[in-house]
Amino acid sequence: MRSLAADSFRFCTIGGALLVTFLLVAAIAALFLVPDISDVRANLLSAEMRYSLKLSLMTGILSTLLVMLFAMPIGYALSRFDFPFKGLVKTILDLPIAFPELVLGLCLLLLFGSTFVGSLFKALGLQFVFTKQGIVVAQFFTALPYASRILKSTFDYIDPKLEFVSRSLGYSIWETFRNVSLPLAKNGILAATVISFARCIGTFGTVLILAGGTYMKTEVLPMTLYLNISYGNMGMALTSGIVLTVVSFVAIYFFERAEVGL
Amino acid sequence: MSFLEVSDLHVRLAEFQLAGVSLSLDRGDYLTIIGPTGAGKTIFIEALVGFWQPDQGRVSLDGRDITHELPEHRHIGIVYQDYALMPHMTVFRNIAYGLKKHKGPDLEDNVRQMAASLHIDHLLHRKPATLSGGEQQRVALARALVAEPRLLLMDEPFSALDRQTRREARVLLKNAVRERGTTVVHITHDLDDAWAFADKLAVFKGGRMLQFGSLHDVLARPRSQFIADFVGACLIRGTVVSAAEDGVQIDIGGVHLASLDVAAPGDAVDVAIRHETISLQKERPVSASGFNVVPAVLGQVMPEGPAFLVDMHVNGTGLQALVSHDTVQRLQSREGDPMYALIPKQHVKIVAAHHPSQQPVQEKTRVHRK
Repeated sequence: MRSLAADSFRFCTIGGALLVTFLLVAAIAALFLVPDISDVRANLLSAEMRYSLKLSLMTGILSTLLVMLFAMPIGYALSRFDFPFKGLVKTILDLPIAFPELVLGLCLLLLFGSTFVGSLFKALGLQFVFTKQGIVVAQFFTALPYASRILKSTFDYIDPKLEFVSRSLGYSIWETFRNVSLPLAKNGILAATVISFARCIGTFGTVLILAGGTYMKTEVLPMTLYLNISYGNMGMALTSGIVLTVVSFVAIYFFERAEVGL
Repeated sequence: MSFLEVSDLHVRLAEFQLAGVSLSLDRGDYLTIIGPTGAGKTIFIEALVGFWQPDQGRVSLDGRDITHELPEHRHIGIVYQDYALMPHMTVFRNIAYGLKKHKGPDLEDNVRQMAASLHIDHLLHRKPATLSGGEQQRVALARALVAEPRLLLMDEPFSALDRQTRREARVLLKNAVRERGTTVVHITHDLDDAWAFADKLAVFKGGRMLQFGSLHDVLARPRSQFIADFVGACLIRGTVVSAAEDGVQIDIGGVHLASLDVAAPGDAVDVAIRHETISLQKERPVSASGFNVVPAVLGQVMPEGPAFLVDMHVNGTGLQALVSHDTVQRLQSREGDPMYALIPKQHVKIVAAHHPSQQPVQEKTRVHRK
């Protein structure tokens, strides 16, 4: 009886995993099988797709760099140091993961549109509402919590005693970070970079609200998909879907190899 | 002035508090710290190296106050239980990492020399993950020693090693620190480590240092029941009934024990007797000069390592003796059988004495020494 219960439990869990995997594979396969390959090639070479791809890559790379620049110290601080309101800071930094993208976009629109923060950036020559810079800001806030969480768990896995020993051997905290923590966090940094890039490239709602979805102006790949599906241009929509999927695949591949969980 | 002076050190870490630790070591001393898990031993040495800032107290090394100095400026080495080798570096780079201030043409020679002295010169190209526990332990020791630290701290460096490897590691460590005259603070759970190395012994419990002194003093005169249990001694309460030139007679539950220590008649005393100093016989010996011969009743016999810990009752007072397997065989006794415990007079140590008008023995009461 006991064995039967164990077998049925095993069957249910594995069965559930296989069912969802099959549905996902079928959905992704449909994206690649439905469109005509010559159409895809033509769409990839179209001016709109080239603009969208170029803008996505440029904003994606810039946002990822900014995300990593901030996520590294955030992840390290959350992992290593105790400071007042640490729990609250961690919760707020993680908030965008649970927030609907559209709401996050709305919040950013209000912050940069009608508060002193927006005016401050404007005075510095940075205008984020309905601009390309806005795309970077939207992508940054969407991807940052993922990167900081990955980096926090990466630093959690690095034994602080290694850093202690390094300090005892005469290395400053900065030298220790460079010689010990950074090389050991290599896989986590790679994973955080790839996931951030994928999140930046794929972000739609936040970008739409803050930067707008203007044809050939703030048109990134998800916007191309959205705009073309609105016009009924399935070929372009599917092509942008394929490009986004390829980016996601590459990201997940690196993420799995780095063996770092969220 | 002592080489290392720690005065009234307090460190608070979350819920844990290390409170009021004071000790001093001379250059070249070897201090072993023992105590149960959670006693604050590791936090104490991490505070010495500067990883935790004390809330109160002072640490000075070689005449300089280092209480608020950064760890990288203290020149204190540390070897952890799990060795904390840099997993991304080869053995060579791990050892060379300790030579930050000696980078130059002699770096390779220094590393190879140190590796050879610890018999790991054939492992220099390997990564730590491919080494055995004993090899990793030697690499960690090499990395710490090559930097020529003013003070070397070790946190249970042998606990993950098997018995044979531990024995070899002890010999290597002893030679390495002796050659260099290194001052060492060594945390251990294993009293054998203290026997093997220590000049001084400190006992920690619950964030406090209960006793500190020379190895033989702490082992022979544990100040509390907890320390006595930890270091393998009996601690019993008695009253001095007579005092003479050559020692005192102490009444313990109606049985008189002679001790060579000094106390005044009428004093209530705590008496310590190390387990291994007591021998057992089935018959009363005809002559036993220099010994107390105490009639006892056999209690439980429990194996302890290669020896046996024998419980006895002397007029209701418990005593334990650590005896060999041969002795247990020779006695051929069962629980409840009568027997005789032979206790050398020089091993009956008065730990604390107080006159009847005084309060009972306190943790900090100084011993009456001969």
